[in-house]
Amino acid sequence: MSRKKKRQFEQKTEETSTEFSSEDFEFARRDEERIYDKKFETKPVGFFRDAMKRFAKNRYNVYATIILLTLVLLAIFVPAFTTKNITGQEPQLRFLPPRIPVVEHLGIADGTSRVENVRVDPDTVDLEEDFGLPSEDRYRHEYIVEDSVEANYRYCDDIAESCFGGQNVLTHDGEDTFTILEAPEFWVFSDAENPVVEIDIESMSDNPLTELTVFIGDEELGTITEAGTYTFDVDPQTSRLHLEFDAVANEYVSLNSVTLSDDAEEDPLYFYEGYDLAFWSIDGEQSDASYERRDGREMRIDFDFDEYEAAFGQREQSAYSSRDYYALIEEYDEVCEKTVDPDDPERWTFSEGCPVIEVKGQSRPIEWEGEEYYTYHVVLDYAVYQGFDDTPYFLFGTTSNGRDLFAVSWRALRTSLFIGVTASLVNITIGIIYGSIEGYYGGKIDLLLERFAEVMGRIPWLVTLSIASALLGPGVFTLFVILIFSGWIGISGITRTQFYRYKRREYVLASRTLGAKDRRLIFRHILPNGIGTIITTSVLSIPMVIFIESTISYLGFGIGHGVDFNVGPVEFSGVSIGVLLADGQAQMYANPYLTVAPALIIAILMITFNMFGNALRDAFNPSLRGVEE
Amino acid sequence: MIRYTLIRTLWIFIILFIVVSLNFILLRVAPEYPPPDPDQRDIYYERQRGDGFVTRVTLLEEVEEDAERMEEIREHGRELAGVAHFDDRNGTMWVYEDVPIMQQYASWMTNILTEWNWGYSTRIQVNVPVFDVLVSRIPVTVQLNLIALFFYIPIGFTLGIIAALKKNSTTDNAISTLVMIGISVPNFVVMSILVLFFGYTLGWLPTQFPASDIVGIIQLTAVVLPVLALASNPIAHLTRMTRAELTEVLTSDFLLLARTKGLTRPQAVVRHAMRNSMVPLVPGIIFSFVGLLSGSVVIEQIYSIPGTGRIFVRAMQEDDYNLVLGVTAFYTIISLFAVLLVDLSYGIVDPRIRMGARK
Repeated sequence: MSRKKKRQFEQKTEETSTEFSSEDFEFARRDEERIYDKKFETKPVGFFRDAMKRFAKNRYNVYATIILLTLVLLAIFVPAFTTKNITGQEPQLRFLPPRIPVVEHLGIADGTSRVENVRVDPDTVDLEEDFGLPSEDRYRHEYIVEDSVEANYRYCDDIAESCFGGQNVLTHDGEDTFTILEAPEFWVFSDAENPVVEIDIESMSDNPLTELTVFIGDEELGTITEAGTYTFDVDPQTSRLHLEFDAVANEYVSLNSVTLSDDAEEDPLYFYEGYDLAFWSIDGEQSDASYERRDGREMRIDFDFDEYEAAFGQREQSAYSSRDYYALIEEYDEVCEKTVDPDDPERWTFSEGCPVIEVKGQSRPIEWEGEEYYTYHVVLDYAVYQGFDDTPYFLFGTTSNGRDLFAVSWRALRTSLFIGVTASLVNITIGIIYGSIEGYYGGKIDLLLERFAEVMGRIPWLVTLSIASALLGPGVFTLFVILIFSGWIGISGITRTQFYRYKRREYVLASRTLGAKDRRLIFRHILPNGIGTIITTSVLSIPMVIFIESTISYLGFGIGHGVDFNVGPVEFSGVSIGVLLADGQAQMYANPYLTVAPALIIAILMITFNMFGNALRDAFNPSLRGVEE
Repeated sequence: MIRYTLIRTLWIFIILFIVVSLNFILLRVAPEYPPPDPDQRDIYYERQRGDGFVTRVTLLEEVEEDAERMEEIREHGRELAGVAHFDDRNGTMWVYEDVPIMQQYASWMTNILTEWNWGYSTRIQVNVPVFDVLVSRIPVTVQLNLIALFFYIPIGFTLGIIAALKKNSTTDNAISTLVMIGISVPNFVVMSILVLFFGYTLGWLPTQFPASDIVGIIQLTAVVLPVLALASNPIAHLTRMTRAELTEVLTSDFLLLARTKGLTRPQAVVRHAMRNSMVPLVPGIIFSFVGLLSGSVVIEQIYSIPGTGRIFVRAMQEDDYNLVLGVTAFYTIISLFAVLLVDLSYGIVDPRIRMGARK
């Protein structure tokens, strides 16, 4: 206020102060009702309601929490209610790929797997159509998805039926000058009209003295000196073809094919190439000539194989124990209606819905220790036999034991969650007590305890791991020891800080003055005030513990197959998500789906857990009240 | 400052000493698994004797007392208290007797301090000094982790800066999502998925680390997947921290001043905001190297990388405790020195912090 203004103000007050008397004043609201304390029109917001409000503010965190809850519920209920095999061994059902309803019509997860680079059965090969089929023993042809076969070729030079085409090369080694190459059988073509021998030579040494003379029986048909296709007319007779190769050392002739054809027949009477031609015999003066295949093609095929049909379709078993058979028929008594084959009393069929479709015969009984043993040759409907009404859906596929990976994964998640939550609870308890003592008492106690916590916290987890698993061996207890060994330090640190923040507050002092004991001060006054941050840290420590647990189990030092344990009535499998991933790792090339499902589950779990923790942190942070972003 | 440095260094050495000693003593208490082959077992115990973990007593048949004892040992073998192993040759018997654990510890410490002798591997590379085994493995691991370190720092910074400058935009949200994934998903899961996708499905990168004698481009491509898997977590952390620090600095008074005096926004950000937001990040980066190292234990296992992590897991599986001791000592030393470095770096990076100064 400037000096001038100040003076004016003073003058004014002097002037006005005398002008008013008390009558000049009146109550502004005399005529209205008296003012009382009004009730708040807004609702009071408590700490937790306020927290809920802030919790719900971030939509994504709420979604994450819902997903997390879903995961937890699945982990609890799926293993309890699954009808599929999750503990036994079913070698027939191992490594089935995922099959999911609805999605299967889109061409993914339809229960087929792409089989690659399989040798073909030479009898099924059609070279012109680029088509072949694998050996029936391994891949039943009826389960190969139609039109899915893709052929590709690779070089081969071995004498094998699967190696097609190419040439057969006759080479003179060393001193040879004269070799006879002879057809393996006599040619019978006495009925033929105008029979013709065709010889296809791929290449031949350039030397003009190198000659290949063609004989049938004793009759000389002609002489070949360079590459090309040659035809010779022959008289109908029964005889053997042979070729005489006259050449010096290191000269060669490379043959594509030898054909005997006839006007009367469409197909050649005799045809040799590739594999067949390789069986011609060689004979010569010194005869260390070599006769080898070259440039053949071997067919490999890729195709889609319907694993589910193969596993659950009809399956023939030639030696099915009669005892098992009668037990089975008795079990399915209502649906199994027997129809005996009118032509053969040893064969009979069953109505639909029965695990046995057909009995094809019976073995001769064997008597042993007074009892008769015999077997049936049966055809089983494997889906029914396994207790399924229809071909089942294994959503994530099956494991190497034939277990349903879907149920096994949730069971594994249950184990992981249980260990994670339990270990965290222990950590939280220890951490809060330790941190409270440090923070509340302070001074020398704090210093000592803090140094101890520092040493504990500085021990690398590899050291803890090595000591615990060397002393205790792998198992649940070891795992808990490792998880708890240094897990509480973070929480004790937070608690200590919270105590330092609140222990000098007035209300604590007031309570102390009134004679409250340490315990009351800690648990009634200080801890509740700092609990928000502690809760947040605790919740965020759970995914951390699960992370460490899965890592240790993945490495094989925690729990594993066969380390099942019970907590009250609930059974937990020793297979946690980490163990499942380690199993999948071994099968990554052949069955990648074994890695995909557990990896996704743990990834989603960790992400949603962290988001849930973040939401809690916001919720328990009153300083964010009313902050609008 | 000097006093502070000295105290911290001393403290770190005390912790190192405690950890290594504890590890030795507890592993010595753990059940021992000598080689099953008799000849190798004789060598094994002879070596133990050389290290001072057992003593050898020679018993002679001619002496009466000895003969009785020999009979007893033959009958009960290792069940007798104190007898670790015996070598029975006509007339004479060498009995290897356990030495009290503290005495073992003393000789072990002496061996390390005077001869730098960390003992010999008993299973993995039989009779090769542990230190030599380590020295052959360390380069692979350290190289991989350094590549990961220098790979993740620029990416983490860049993403964090982008997120902070474009706060609450779509870009920021996308980066936040990535950060959430990177922080949450364990690195061995990341590694599994990467190997599955890039190794097997697409076939672009090798599915296993190649042996060192295979030369060529594969030595380079083989590094890609482990580095990515190792870096996924640190990138996320660095991005989140950079974003948080930079957002805070961007709203600070001195940045407003910088803008008021006429600097453009990029100038202000680069010259003032970034430099100040770096300070709290440096310790995190130093610590992250320790995180990388211990994370690489699993990655090495998945990708068959012949590093210290893989040798640790193998040594654990086959109970080669000397080697376990050596490897864990290596990891302990690295992590403790990182702690020391972090403690000291606070003062160096930010001159306003004077460590150890009296209030």
